[in-house]
Amino acid sequence: MFSDHHQQSRRRFLANFAFASTALATGVGSWVVRPDWANAAADPIKVGVATDLTGPIGYAGNADANVAKMVIKEINDAGGILGRPLELYIEDTASNESVAVGNVRKLIQRDKVDLVLGGITSSMRNAIKDVIVARGKTLYIYPQLYEGKECTPNLFCTGPTPAQQCDEFIPWLIKNGGKKFALPSANYVWPHTLNVYARKVIEANGGEVIFEEYYPLDQIDFSSTVNRIISNKVDVVFNTVIPPGVGPFFKQLYEAGFLKNGGRLACVYYDENTLAINQPAEIEGLASCLDYFKALAPEDPVSAKIQAAYDKSFPGTFLFAAGSAATGTYRGLKLWEAAVKEAGKVERDAVAAALDHAKIAEGPGGPAEMVPGTRHCKMKMYTAVAKGGNYEIVARSAGLVDPKEC
Amino acid sequence: MHNLITALFEIMSFASIVVLVVLGLGIIASMMGIFNFAQGEFVLLGAYVTYAVHNAGLPVWLGMFAAPFAVGALGFVLERLIVRRFYGAPIVAMLGTYALGLIIREIVRGLIGGLYLSVPEPIGGSLSVGDMHFSSWRLVIILITALVMAASYLLLARTAFGLRIRASLENPALARASGISTNAIYGATFAFGAALAGLAGALIVPVFSLFADLGLRFLIQGFVAVMVGGVGSFAGPVAGAGIIGTLSAALPWVIAPVVADVLVFVIAIVFIKLRPQGLVSGRGV
Amino acid sequence: MTETTPTALRLADRKSRTRRWPLLPVMELAVLAIGALLPLVLQDYLTVYATRVLILCLFALSFDLVWGYAGIMSFGQAVFFGSAGYGVALLARDLGLTSMLIVLPAGLLIGFTFALLLGGFLLLGRHPSSVIFVSLGTLTGSYAFDRLARGWYYLGGQNGIPSIPAMSIGSYEWDEGPGFYYLALGILLVVYIICRFLVRSQFGLALAGLRENEQRIAFFGYRAQRLKAIIFSFAGAIAGLAGSLYAFHEGFVWPNMLGVVMSTQVVLYVLFGGPGTLIGAVIGTVVIEAVSFWLSNSYQDIWPIILGVLLLLVILFRPAGLVSLVLSERERVGEFGRPPGDRHGPA
Repeated sequence: MFSDHHQQSRRRFLANFAFASTALATGVGSWVVRPDWANAAADPIKVGVATDLTGPIGYAGNADANVAKMVIKEINDAGGILGRPLELYIEDTASNESVAVGNVRKLIQRDKVDLVLGGITSSMRNAIKDVIVARGKTLYIYPQLYEGKECTPNLFCTGPTPAQQCDEFIPWLIKNGGKKFALPSANYVWPHTLNVYARKVIEANGGEVIFEEYYPLDQIDFSSTVNRIISNKVDVVFNTVIPPGVGPFFKQLYEAGFLKNGGRLACVYYDENTLAINQPAEIEGLASCLDYFKALAPEDPVSAKIQAAYDKSFPGTFLFAAGSAATGTYRGLKLWEAAVKEAGKVERDAVAAALDHAKIAEGPGGPAEMVPGTRHCKMKMYTAVAKGGNYEIVARSAGLVDPKEC
Repeated sequence: MHNLITALFEIMSFASIVVLVVLGLGIIASMMGIFNFAQGEFVLLGAYVTYAVHNAGLPVWLGMFAAPFAVGALGFVLERLIVRRFYGAPIVAMLGTYALGLIIREIVRGLIGGLYLSVPEPIGGSLSVGDMHFSSWRLVIILITALVMAASYLLLARTAFGLRIRASLENPALARASGISTNAIYGATFAFGAALAGLAGALIVPVFSLFADLGLRFLIQGFVAVMVGGVGSFAGPVAGAGIIGTLSAALPWVIAPVVADVLVFVIAIVFIKLRPQGLVSGRGV
Repeated sequence: MTETTPTALRLADRKSRTRRWPLLPVMELAVLAIGALLPLVLQDYLTVYATRVLILCLFALSFDLVWGYAGIMSFGQAVFFGSAGYGVALLARDLGLTSMLIVLPAGLLIGFTFALLLGGFLLLGRHPSSVIFVSLGTLTGSYAFDRLARGWYYLGGQNGIPSIPAMSIGSYEWDEGPGFYYLALGILLVVYIICRFLVRSQFGLALAGLRENEQRIAFFGYRAQRLKAIIFSFAGAIAGLAGSLYAFHEGFVWPNMLGVVMSTQVVLYVLFGGPGTLIGAVIGTVVIEAVSFWLSNSYQDIWPIILGVLLLLVILFRPAGLVSLVLSERERVGEFGRPPGDRHGPA
């Protein structure tokens, strides 16, 4: 009996050792990317990326890690910054705030990185920002679309804000969907704050909010919500339920006939990665407003180039998409590169001062520039609709849109 | 009126999911007196087998068919090797099965890379009856649960094998004295409980998507359901599951979902405190 | 035959009696010495990690008290840990109170109160509650508290409460590092000594009897349920203290601190180390956390599997935990009063 059990454990151990090796090869766990030409003379500049490589947000975190690897490699291939190579340290925040804090501490205290870029959900950002900015005295770039109101010094946001996502999007929704809105939401800070802003814009444009509800993050049965939507004849479902609930929610809505009766789904974080969660029929007509879509490639050569470079280096299921903070990661790293070049050194205060007004001419979706004094970024915004499982761009902003924050 | 029918349908479909999961748990608790903390992970395994079969390019329903057998077989093996040492020591059983569940959960987590994966349902879309739409797959779940319960009842009440099971349940010592091999019965029962969980996992994976913590969700609800229903019989856990499932699905229609979540458990614990033997006391079917 | 056996027994007696050095205090002192010297050898960020482990040891102590000494399988210790954490986080956020002299007693009080309420409900009553009911009841309590915190926006919902300011005393702030480490070590030491006295006292004797055979203790006239409720509340207070330290050390609280995973984690720690010995809880926590840390860098995926397997092995073959590899059974159970003296016969 005893040896039987030992056999079982040993067999399992070996089997999982194989998994661990493949896992290591594909990049799970903390690891370092060093450039080929790193020589002893030049001190490397250390960049830390803390993102969700596992857990429900893993579909986005892996994309961000890939983008970081791609950008760092590009910079290193061009000679680094200030003649120094860049070293990339990646840690998994595992969609779990407590694990995240421990791992981010490693980046700050053990690896002593000069920059931390990461966090996807607002709860993750809130958990790790203290460790990085206050206790760790390090620069922090947050790359994901979020609810705004983050005005902590040395914390720079390179993802869209509610103003950028709602000001032009909601009028479009009212024109192309209807006046009656429902706001089903996940119960955490991003939906709460975004809904306050969205409600303002909806009502200012003649729309009406029928109901606003919050659900636990792991809720997967939405029958009462769906029923409320159908029976109140809601035109637009402005959804902020996130994975894992969003897939079952959209499926249940579809099965209840919401789309058949002319309803429209709207979800501002929905990108190419999340398209895969549901069957195409279940999300037909879903509208999203982001800073980048893959469908931009025909009209924007810069975007096409970036997309092609990513797809070549990282073919697979983790797509370069704007709702997954991938574009914000790209933008953030490039803006930081420009700031370091301007500042001439890597010390936080110098770089923060330069980053405050940094600009890049080439980015996914278009150029980007920081609004001085606010630590937020102007960028172009696009509205797209899901048709047959792919996005089609239906509206473009006239120029760079103001984040209107801080 | 429409509202009521839709509401009833949704509640019934959720309750039947809970019943499927709890049935196995209840049978094991009633028969062997142990609470199997790994039951949730058997559900996870059922879901995983379905996903794996689908991923290999084979049709989903094949995976769903294979899942209960695969998980049942694993359950049988685990019972022989490990679980059988825990009979009669409920606390050790809980800890031991918890450790087992941990191992299974982490293996699956390693296999799916910690991500959330979706599996399409074999029969998708919805049935329209006038103005109302009913999810076809949920209807299938209700039907299959009803079939499984009917089949289990018939097995227990009408067959010779069922007679032996009932004998072991009501009076193990006397059963052994009568020549019934309770060890074999226990093995078969554990395997059956595991198979039921596997079936539940296979059926719900299109609804809930596959992720490593899928089992934990149902575990607590399962235990509470078994305690509310009463340990020691077949009907008890089923009744408990029905009640807990119905409450969980129905309350959010009348009060805020976050409050409903907690209220179900509070009500259940208070009920058990007042009536420790549960709804259906006594042994037997 | 009959001649040699008594002599052999007497020889054995003498042997066992000459080996008078009790191992338990030696072990405890060794652990203390290592703990005191650790920050001098470790880098800063490892000291921060070690502080967290110390706080978790405190938490594990609370569980050892209820299970190892009273036989209550509580799957809900995290309720008191997390509630105290949330409580002091709210004090810091809403009232700006960060003084150690306020928040630590607050943590004790919150933990004690919740444990009294939950324990009182589960344990007291006309009919004694079954072991299963208490363990499932505490499990459900942990789950319910987790869901409640997750859903209540005032508590931060899913986010929890981030950016808790540092704990202070007067104008000095306890930052992470050697300072906080020694604070945690000091608190752990004081609580450990208190528990040590408690379990060797008359009350402890009653508890030991409770653990071994509840009915018999009841027949002796002890109110078994009340004893259980008392120790449960006391342990809850300790868990609360640990929770408040944790909140200030980590800088944020979130619903998982209240939940089932945290509750079962502490069960694992104590089970692994050895229930019923106090030092077992500390050793179990340290070993599991240290190995987990060491392995998490490279073998993140398989470490939980290995942990599960180890746990299963411990449950099956060595339910008395790691410390039983070193301590004898007699030492593990503990001595009350004076040793048997020079009687003849088996020890």
